[in-house]
Amino acid sequence: MAKSSENYILDTSALISLGSINILEQVSKVFSVTTTNSVIKELEEFAEYDDKYGKIAKNVLKLKSRLTIESCKVTESIKYIEPTDNELYNLALKKKLPLVTDETKFVHHTRHKIEVYFTTLFLIVLTEAKYFTKKGSLDKLEELRDIRNWRNNIIYLITKNQLEQL
Amino acid sequence: METEQFNIRMPKDLVQDLDIISKLLKVNKSEWVKTKLAEEVHEEKNKLLMELSTLYANGMISKEKIEKLVGKEVADEMESIKVIAQKSIKQGLEYGKKLRKLHS
Repeated sequence: MAKSSENYILDTSALISLGSINILEQVSKVFSVTTTNSVIKELEEFAEYDDKYGKIAKNVLKLKSRLTIESCKVTESIKYIEPTDNELYNLALKKKLPLVTDETKFVHHTRHKIEVYFTTLFLIVLTEAKYFTKKGSLDKLEELRDIRNWRNNIIYLITKNQLEQL
Repeated sequence: METEQFNIRMPKDLVQDLDIISKLLKVNKSEWVKTKLAEEVHEEKNKLLMELSTLYANGMISKEKIEKLVGKEVADEMESIKVIAQKSIKQGLEYGKKLRKLHS
């Protein structure tokens, strides 16, 4: 699998989403994935529990060596988001890299300041590039919908509609 | 937390039931009602907003109408989600095509 030059910053929600549908390894083979020490710490805290998020976090941490882990000083703060997210936001600003998150509040408060996407981006990439079949991707979207409790939300409906057209 | 007085009249039977719960659980009646009400309100609000966002995603309601119904903040957030969900698709398709070319 060829590695693209594209680099994305992923937050905890994005890593959990990709880990939950077992595509983080593939994504990290195709793209460079960057995150922060604070995100790794959050995942380690999740991993202390044996619930579904704990299990996913453990699997994500197994792929830690595939991620670029950085720290970033917060020089510009958004009051509506958590300190961990502010660090990611500052990293995206500093490195001029796109950020991927499934936190809708994070997206809402940063979308005019940085390039930001939902993790559904990777499902579409891998389907369009024929790494996954359309059916495989639709199944993964259903899994993601369950784990994220998306029900019939906007992200789910728009992505499902697109996948069905591929 | 800032609070506001909200008075409601309840049927006597319901108050008696609350007394039983309060005694058995050894909890304050008002606190218990407040917690249960908060859970119910949170659930119902999310359910209704989800239904509204489904209509919005399917183009069956405009942002302006949403703003009139639930306010600017919620309408703006729904718009952000829709725009970024569509942008994620667009970007995904572009990179997917690039990757396919790289392999062929």
